Amino acid sequence: MAAGNLELLLNLGHFVVCGEISPPQSADKAAVLKKCAYFKDTVDAVNFTDNQTAVVRMSSVMASVFALECGLEPIMQMTCRDRNRLAQQSDLLGAAAAGIKNVLCLTGDYMSFGNHPDAKGDFDLDSVQLIHAVSELNQGRFLSGDVLKSPMKLFIGGAANPFAEPFDLRIIRLGKKIAAGAQFIQTQPVFDVPRFEKWISAVRDEGYDQQVHILAGVMPVRSVRALIHLRDEVPGSLVPDEYILRMDAVKDDKEKSAEVGLALAVEIVDQLKRIPGIKGIHFMPVMWESITPRLVEQCGLLPRPKPVIASESSEEAV
Amino acid sequence: MSKLSEAIANICEKRQWLYKPILLMESGAKKLIFRCQDCGQCVLSQNAFTCCMRCPKQIRNGPCGGTRPNGRCEVYPNRACIWWLIHRRAKRLGVVHKLKKYHIPADRRLQYTSAWMNMFAGRILPLQLGKKPKEVTLTKKDPPPLR
Ligand code: SF4
Ligand code: SF4
Repeated sequence: MAAGNLELLLNLGHFVVCGEISPPQSADKAAVLKKCAYFKDTVDAVNFTDNQTAVVRMSSVMASVFALECGLEPIMQMTCRDRNRLAQQSDLLGAAAAGIKNVLCLTGDYMSFGNHPDAKGDFDLDSVQLIHAVSELNQGRFLSGDVLKSPMKLFIGGAANPFAEPFDLRIIRLGKKIAAGAQFIQTQPVFDVPRFEKWISAVRDEGYDQQVHILAGVMPVRSVRALIHLRDEVPGSLVPDEYILRMDAVKDDKEKSAEVGLALAVEIVDQLKRIPGIKGIHFMPVMWESITPRLVEQCGLLPRPKPVIASESSEEAV
Repeated sequence: MSKLSEAIANICEKRQWLYKPILLMESGAKKLIFRCQDCGQCVLSQNAFTCCMRCPKQIRNGPCGGTRPNGRCEVYPNRACIWWLIHRRAKRLGVVHKLKKYHIPADRRLQYTSAWMNMFAGRILPLQLGKKPKEVTLTKKDPPPLR
């Protein structure tokens, strides 16, 4: 089986760039394709969120399939909130069959954050166990131990939050994810770079940066309101006051505010690029996908390496 | 565990009048002390005697990414994150290394069964009281006949 673009580039030592798309809250395929256009040729792969913040959206599996249609490499996100281990494994089989190469395993936001706070959560597995389940599938086994009829391969990702408490336990948990089979890690959006440096140096001390590809998250925001919302309402994120003050100074002018937001993101990326152990950047322009081409360009990350044609690398197929 | 404990479990699990009081006693005591959720596969001794099934997401390899800076849960801001508590207590007891262990997915068939009996029967890992985690091969997979 051929490896995906993301896996190949990471293994070749490129500094990769990922994007992120939340599928629409409707059955509108055109909306997905429109967002995909912003990411085409500006990033190497794009995350498709799975009912992010517990708000019902188009399924990440289907949105990822639409991305494949327009030649974009998807990273399908999968949470443990909405499916039990049966549905998860069956969706993974379907995704692999459709040609999806990457999966990001998450526990998922709790239902009370979304638009169906009255729903029953599943949480049959947790994210570490889900990573383990995908890695078992890659090795030809279901969680039950039954054997797959034919092999499949997915590049397995996990998430890490360098900013939430308890700090030491998070490093331990990252180690658990790696032991369970995670091959790349995407972090929460970084605003507080010194704190991130503290985390990554703890990760380097354990040698985890050698065992897994770590991609740092960066979220461009276009208004001070979004930034304050992040700080106050989104658990597990740290936003330095300096950024809030800078955004606050231009809050009345929409365009200026967007420019400052863009500049902040570029600044953060410049600092991140210099930190050893980071293998790429994961942009999360939530509700601001149109900024991606400019953002990636200003960060000096264009042009992206050409996608490796699948047929060339399929020689290694089993 | 041992032949003897398996025999005990075997006797108790086949008799409702024996099993029910044991279950009630165990679960009652653990509810009072640890707010047990009756998962039937106790990991208290591995998690510094703090029950991780109290987490709203019932994460057995925690914590999730949302723990607040003051150690509160992302779901209930007025409650402590269970995994923050586990970590704090593990530090006090000097058993943080035990938290490195990967916990396999919970066997949902064991919900509302007696973890003690499951332990005797060799369905789940034994108590991990020492500093060093014990490695044991489990002998039984099926849930107890009486539930
Ligand atoms: S781990 Fe399971 S059996 Fe043990 S106290 Fe918690 S819910 Fe009860
Ligand atoms: S913050 Fe802690 S207790 Fe709350 S859901 Fe996450 S892991 Fe569970």
